[in-house]
Amino acid sequence: MTDQTNNTGFDWASPSFQSHMKKRRRSQIQLKLLGLGAIAIAFMMLMLLITSLVSTGYHAFTQTHLKVEVFLDPEHLDPAKPARGNYRQILTDTMKTQFPDVPDDRAELRKLTSILSNGAQFTIRDRVMENPDLIGETVQFNVPVADTYDQLNKGLIDPDTPEEYRRLKNDEIANFELLKDRGAITEPLNTALLTNADSRFPELAGLKGALVGSFYALLTCFLLSFPLGIGAAIYLEEFAPRNRVSDLIEININNLAAVPSVVFGLLALAVFLGWFGMPRSAPFVGGMTLALMTLPTIIIATRAALKAVPPSIREAALAVGASKQQVVFGHVLPLAMPGILTGTIIGLAQALGETAPLLLIGMNAFITSAPSTPFDSATALPTQIFIWADSPERGFVSRTSAAILVLLTFLIMMNAIAIFLRQKFERKW
Amino acid sequence: MTMFDVTKPETAVDQTDIKIAASNVQVFYGDTQAIKDVDVDIQDKTVTAFIGPSGCGKSTFLRCLNRMNDTIDSCRVEGRILLDEQDIYAPQVDPVQLRAKVGMVFQKPNPFPKSIYDNVAYGPKIHGMARTKGELDEVVEKSLRRAALWEEVKDRLDTPGTGLSGGQQQRLCIARAVATRPEVLLMDEPCSALDPIATAQVEELIDELKQRFSVVIVTHSMQQAARVSQKTAFFHLGNLVEYDDTNTIFTNPQDPRTESYITGRIG
Repeated sequence: MTDQTNNTGFDWASPSFQSHMKKRRRSQIQLKLLGLGAIAIAFMMLMLLITSLVSTGYHAFTQTHLKVEVFLDPEHLDPAKPARGNYRQILTDTMKTQFPDVPDDRAELRKLTSILSNGAQFTIRDRVMENPDLIGETVQFNVPVADTYDQLNKGLIDPDTPEEYRRLKNDEIANFELLKDRGAITEPLNTALLTNADSRFPELAGLKGALVGSFYALLTCFLLSFPLGIGAAIYLEEFAPRNRVSDLIEININNLAAVPSVVFGLLALAVFLGWFGMPRSAPFVGGMTLALMTLPTIIIATRAALKAVPPSIREAALAVGASKQQVVFGHVLPLAMPGILTGTIIGLAQALGETAPLLLIGMNAFITSAPSTPFDSATALPTQIFIWADSPERGFVSRTSAAILVLLTFLIMMNAIAIFLRQKFERKW
Repeated sequence: MTMFDVTKPETAVDQTDIKIAASNVQVFYGDTQAIKDVDVDIQDKTVTAFIGPSGCGKSTFLRCLNRMNDTIDSCRVEGRILLDEQDIYAPQVDPVQLRAKVGMVFQKPNPFPKSIYDNVAYGPKIHGMARTKGELDEVVEKSLRRAALWEEVKDRLDTPGTGLSGGQQQRLCIARAVATRPEVLLMDEPCSALDPIATAQVEELIDELKQRFSVVIVTHSMQQAARVSQKTAFFHLGNLVEYDDTNTIFTNPQDPRTESYITGRIG
């Protein structure tokens, strides 16, 4: 075995070294498998979440409608005051003509009109108010049906359930099947989900109020936290002397980023609503609250981005005689901008999904119209999800999932923009 | 002023001018002293080389000459440094203005991530040296010509400076430094990140620059010091050990430490 000893004095072929190598290889493979396993589990969880959301939520993206000929009876309508007409009676008459065999009995007629959504009368009223000349004519309308019939049409009501436990009785189902056989039932895309504000009736409820509210809140949040955050970060990173005070400020900013959001909500409730008497449920106040939360995130991201600018660039600018301010605003800040924007967008995406502070300032109110200014009462997307998840009507189950999908879409879009900005403006030195 | 000037007739006329006079300079980083009692007179229109082993303080001393050390919080400079008989550490001196007068080129080429034109025009722009676009164009061209880069980049002035090769980037940095019409040009190991060909180009350029500026160059390479400089200062452990004509330092050093260093026994 003389060939095993070489001039380095180490035996690379010895069994002990071979087993050592084998052990090293094995632990490397184990680590790799663990990593793959972690990713697989995370991916499965994500898929589970999305599948469950989509499988319940997709029902909300269509809405069953009834195509029906409505005689705009001049007996119940005054052309001078189209808003004051008896539209309920017109609908009852309409349904009576649809089902001539049904006896003319109050309870039976009520059953028939309850096929239609409560919003049907407003659909007709709006059309008449738009064009009062229609009075006396027969016009075709496509109106949403009530939530229970929507559920029936989507197969969410099991006809095998004993009648007394079912929300729709046999005769009601028969009536609906009759309409379906006539081809009067359609199931178009549920545009109301995005164009209507909230409603007690699931078939009429939409996210417009929440979308506009969230937009105003995020806009306020951005306008407040972006300039303040960047300003604070530039001062702390570039101009502030390093001493105990600045250390204390730095520690506190890092702590603020970790404060639970509900605490910011309580603070806003006490200060903005309590002391300053700002309006309740207003997206503007919601935005201010979210800005409190987003501010530390933006400051930390901005400081990290400023720190990442290579010192050679600062030296280069200083050496040609740029002042500190010219160095910061002319060179460092533009180079740090992609990092700052990425951090800001991620901070805003966080703010978009934040619920607790908005609940505390009353942005979970039931509001049936979209806000026209940031100072009007409104909900936001997460609080709207919270309200819907809390509602007993069956239609809100799928609408809650649909709203979550809408929120997730916005979050994914914002994160995609952040990634795009980072890739586009990333510089190599 | 001495007989050595006779051997360099092209600079003999101007060499009597002292551009920078440093006396009794001490530099501290916190509690540690990096430079001890340095006295040195740097002549105008001359290349002065600072040599010495790593950590000997030559770069630190160079950075005192344009007050770049001011940007380091813990750094403290004592003693007197006169530029044209004016104390650059006097309270009425604005370091920002001083740095336009004393240009600097760094070890690693550090062009701004902007166009070649903007890199050179930046200094003149912030100092308001050019009132019109035409004047600025002229300054940019002149500076790039001085840095021997004009012919290579004149057709692509609006392409990013970071896209040039290492040697071109370093010459771009030299152009940027000379664009503010400095009187002194400080170079901190300007060739240590360059290949031999780029190094030769920059050295050639340094030789031309000394017609107009007083050039101070820090270098690790004794060959480079011997090639480009007329005066050489040897630093060791924060002390200026020996300062003399380059020929003298390399052929007849007075101090044993200098001799050890140039013969490769320390460093």
